[in-house]
Amino acid sequence: MGYNARRGPTGSLEVAAVRGFLFRVARRLVAALVMIWAVATFTFFLIRLMPGDPVLAKMVELEQTGMPEEQAKAQVSSMYGFIPHDPLPVQYVHYLWQLCHFDLGVSIAYSGQPVTTIIWSALPYTLGLVLTGIIVTFIFGVIGGVFAAIKRDSWIGGSLSIVGSILHGVPQFMVAVLLVYFLAALHPIFPIGAPYDITISPGLNLHFLSNVAWHAVLPIAAFVISGFGFWALAMKGSVVTTLGDDFILASELRGIKPSIRFRYIARNAFLPLFTYLAIAIGYSFGGAIFIEKIFDYPGLGNLLNNSLASYDYPVMQAAFLMITVAVIISNIVAEVLYTFIDPRIRTGIS
Amino acid sequence: MEAIVAEEPQNISTPEAGAPSPVRRHASIWGVARDVLLHRPTGMLGFLLLVVFGLMALFGPMLYPEHLATDPFNAFAAPSWSHPLGTDFDGTDTLALIVTGSRYVLLSAFLAGFFTAAFGSVTGLTAGYFLGLGDSLLMKVADFVLTIPAFPLLVVLSTIWKFGDPVSMGLVLGIIGWGALARAIRAQVLSLRERTFIEAARGLGFSSFHIITREILPNLGSYIAMKFLLAVTGAMYASVGLFFLGVLPFKVNNWGVMLNFAFTQSGAMYTPKALPYLLSPLCAILLVTLGVVLFLDAVDEILNPRLRRR
Repeated sequence: MGYNARRGPTGSLEVAAVRGFLFRVARRLVAALVMIWAVATFTFFLIRLMPGDPVLAKMVELEQTGMPEEQAKAQVSSMYGFIPHDPLPVQYVHYLWQLCHFDLGVSIAYSGQPVTTIIWSALPYTLGLVLTGIIVTFIFGVIGGVFAAIKRDSWIGGSLSIVGSILHGVPQFMVAVLLVYFLAALHPIFPIGAPYDITISPGLNLHFLSNVAWHAVLPIAAFVISGFGFWALAMKGSVVTTLGDDFILASELRGIKPSIRFRYIARNAFLPLFTYLAIAIGYSFGGAIFIEKIFDYPGLGNLLNNSLASYDYPVMQAAFLMITVAVIISNIVAEVLYTFIDPRIRTGIS
Repeated sequence: MEAIVAEEPQNISTPEAGAPSPVRRHASIWGVARDVLLHRPTGMLGFLLLVVFGLMALFGPMLYPEHLATDPFNAFAAPSWSHPLGTDFDGTDTLALIVTGSRYVLLSAFLAGFFTAAFGSVTGLTAGYFLGLGDSLLMKVADFVLTIPAFPLLVVLSTIWKFGDPVSMGLVLGIIGWGALARAIRAQVLSLRERTFIEAARGLGFSSFHIITREILPNLGSYIAMKFLLAVTGAMYASVGLFFLGVLPFKVNNWGVMLNFAFTQSGAMYTPKALPYLLSPLCAILLVTLGVVLFLDAVDEILNPRLRRR
């Protein structure tokens, strides 16, 4: 079907396919916005349900210091993004309105600092950690999986599969704890506790960037070691399935060179893995909570953890919202990427 | 597909004798289980591992006093006959900690697996069989649950609800975890409901409830059981992880509390002598996981009507 379907750049089918693609992307974006709204609503009501109502408590506390009620109200409103004595719907609209302007209130623990500033300073660390972790894990896992599939009759492939299964069963936080124990606490080979040496001033130079990378080695290693098994097993399964396909047998019978045949296999076995990417992204952002706590890395997960301990609800709310938004956006990117890679979906002909 | 639902005959009287189901029970499920396990040493090993841990969770805590003995002069002792897994930072026997801590971890994980399987199956079966508006609504909710990253959500939830007791923990993990199973089951029901035996059951005038529970569900039994076991391991990681993070109050000892103490309070991270104490909870988790993984294949063979030996 694919041969006549493409009628060149001006062909009507091509245009329809592009239009269909854009339409799907647009629909995904709308769904993502609805999702973000739902999460924002959820966190709004969560804050309202919190024990002792921190918003009211803060207001009473301010009034007790002698602050007039109006002023206390204004201050709490700027802190939390809503006014405690207003009826709930009014508060809700006010909160959403501020959210649309990226105004997330003011932190309680870091007094006076806008939450947005705090979030922006933590976001790059989490994004860097999680995205590098996913990409490196993906590459290692796919290579390991292909190897395990092709050499599945020899001891190399067998032991690769076993290692993959075992690593798949180890929780991420245990990998991280053991890495800290052996490579940072007992034998201080790698640094932990900061994203870069405090003696170095941040800047876009090689010295600083290599220092940041050096500090990120252990956290990323924790992602890679705990995620390797999943990708290796998935890729192995996919390659083994592809090996049984008719077109591989046909190419073998036609005497096509093994190196080219390998390309056929790899390209086809690769595709299903992208459907797992969206799930892996969500999982990794969730796992960042553990990794960042264990390595004391100043990302969103650590921010969420610390805000919990210090009852810093505005920061907690914002950190949770940002982590979820990061997952939602990554999901869309993964999906668009998948559409782009798989010609069957791209052209909309199946 | 909608048309088939609409054509459900109303005037045909329901036959008394049950229609031949594709699942035929030649032997009792226990007989089949015994045969399968005897033919599969790995499945047997997995089963035994799970039984050992189950017994440990049920009866283990009875072997020890409520407050375990401490011996500060014997902290981080090496494994010996009196302390097979060494001691912790207080000189408490690590094996005793593992055994008494197993009840909470395994009970909450079991309940979480149960709730996940129950919510996921009911939603997936309902959505996949009845379709229509309810289906799209349920799947929207499932997608929502799937997208929100579970750990951050649990951490935030812990601020308003201290779901530390096993039942609440299981319930929370079930509420958060049913999305993927519901989607998978719905997809399978979509294919099953077009099969001839379902059409036949519909033609014979069986109620939807009967078709879902008696005709469709048995075909998904092995799948659900496997997902249940995997959910148990996932829930075990989650509950241990939450206690490790320290966001829930410590009421009873469990493996997560052990890890939390090891990591944050006891200085165990800075002495090589603490290795047995640090590794013990990890090995316990890994052994339960190993038991589940080995048992999975056998479960498929026991419950899957198409794989069953005749």
